Amino acid sequence: MVSTKDIFKFSGVTVIAACAVFVSTLFLNFNIDLKGIEGQIADIPTRALYDALVMSGKVVSAVSGGCLVLTSAVMLCFYIGHYIDAHRKELGVLKALGYTNLRIARGFWVFGLSVFAGAAVGYAAAHCLMPWFYEAQCDGLPKFGADFHFELMFFLVILPTAVFALFSVIYGCIRLRAPVLVLINGKADGRAKPCRSDKERPFLSDLRRSVVRSRKSLVFFIGFAAFCFSAMVQMAFAVDGLASELMSYMMLGIGLTLAFVTLFIAVETVVRSNAKTISIMGAFGYSRGDCSSAVLSGYRPAALTGFVIGTFYQHILLKIAVNVIFSDIEGLPDLDFNFAVLGIAAAAFAVFYEVIMYVYARKIGRLSVKEVLSDSV
Amino acid sequence: MIKLENIHKSYGLADNKAEVLKGISIGIEDGDFAVILGPSGSGKSTLMNVASGLERPDSGRVLYGGENIAELSDDKLTAFRKRTIGFIFQQYYLLPNLTVDKNVRMGAELAGNRDYAEVIDALGLSEKRRKYPYELSGGEQQRVSAARALAKKPDVLFLDEPTGALDEETGRSVLNYISGLQEKLGFTIIMVTHNVNIAEMAKTVIRMNSGRIVECFRNETRKTAYEIGW
Repeated sequence: MVSTKDIFKFSGVTVIAACAVFVSTLFLNFNIDLKGIEGQIADIPTRALYDALVMSGKVVSAVSGGCLVLTSAVMLCFYIGHYIDAHRKELGVLKALGYTNLRIARGFWVFGLSVFAGAAVGYAAAHCLMPWFYEAQCDGLPKFGADFHFELMFFLVILPTAVFALFSVIYGCIRLRAPVLVLINGKADGRAKPCRSDKERPFLSDLRRSVVRSRKSLVFFIGFAAFCFSAMVQMAFAVDGLASELMSYMMLGIGLTLAFVTLFIAVETVVRSNAKTISIMGAFGYSRGDCSSAVLSGYRPAALTGFVIGTFYQHILLKIAVNVIFSDIEGLPDLDFNFAVLGIAAAAFAVFYEVIMYVYARKIGRLSVKEVLSDSV
Repeated sequence: MIKLENIHKSYGLADNKAEVLKGISIGIEDGDFAVILGPSGSGKSTLMNVASGLERPDSGRVLYGGENIAELSDDKLTAFRKRTIGFIFQQYYLLPNLTVDKNVRMGAELAGNRDYAEVIDALGLSEKRRKYPYELSGGEQQRVSAARALAKKPDVLFLDEPTGALDEETGRSVLNYISGLQEKLGFTIIMVTHNVNIAEMAKTVIRMNSGRIVECFRNETRKTAYEIGW
């Protein structure tokens, strides 16, 4: 019952997988090729640079690749959960008819194709950029070219696809363990247990809290978007003098892509999953401002937290790079916290975040009360 | 006074265009209890949507005390619904992640009604205040929907098949409470139903078929919710 059309809805996973594989392929391919010139290195300063490059390749691949793979897994879980919520009636009927969880969930392997698409694009993009990347990285080392390594393609494209396909089936099985009647009749919209607080709060404040609580994964994604923006943008400016210009542009590009895609998907999901609530509020006479504030403004603390964590993360990572990985390299500039860059990044993120919120607030205003209510019957 | 003048409404485009309302004109007095009867597809729900400002007519006027709400901007129409309209839908449309109390408060806060607990109690929901919609039966959910609409103290209450999903006993008690409150507070009720028995409670009965009003009459022998058939 899962169609290939459904895979397109997993575009967030594809983009994150593409970024992860892109970064990992560049650095790991470079590391493998770098090993080939190890014998040609004779002097101590070049050896120090060689060791630092090998180490930085491993750290960048592990940290960036690892973080992004983890985020891909979280996003895949989120999408599968979303898919099951959206099709719970059909899935419930299948279970009622006697289909086992595994029989239903085994069709979920196709969601692994979203990882394949991203990994393939990331892998291909990395190979396209490799000549420039090698040239920038090899400054101070004997020149060498980029070779194709099948094992990298296996570990970064084929294996992740298989693992994520299997993961989709297993996670689908777990989510389908819900009783048949819960699937058919539904429970609360959110998976999180709602809070029964008796505190006297205005309705809009209660609604704002319940919207945030009902889909905690969206809090993570909005925080993650802010984290990516903050960390990558600040890092792109901070590495000036430490790394090549190409590296700065790569960081900036990856940071903005991840932030935009993740934030867009998260906010789109927030609005779509609350369309009925917004429509009812509109029917009763709540203004567009009230509706968008109740649905969207609860995520600002998550965005702020993500931005702050991103700021610390990039600074600590660069400190480690300078003080540990590149400690034997002479002539590196001091790395002080750059408040000017922080200010620019914060202002840019505030504009970026608020523009997306404004666009979606307008979208909320355009929701047709009658259409949404008719669709949900 | 609510007046609908020569209302036309169609859906679809070109060859697939279906005219749902074909020149409807009616007047409903303030404090009236009007029931719109008709078979499925007769246009009664569309008429309710147009009369309540949820939809705009293609042509014609929807007058509330002389103000044509069909010409209002979206924001003004929302403000109009806020101060004037209440809804009870057949599908309840409760907010799933909020308790009964908070669902009712959604309506009450719009009217600045701090005594909304009275409505909850009157509809027999005192024990359910901290429950979530998915923990309630269909009848209880409909009562919450009614409480939410009544807590808003609307001037005009629109009901779309309010007893469609209720058992007889619950249906009668909900209708009895709403009509009792209407007698006391004097708001207008416009109810869409296919249940001809409920029409016996109404002051005005409007029969629709194929997008037109085929009959409109005053009901001289009104019955209570416990006297009508079911």
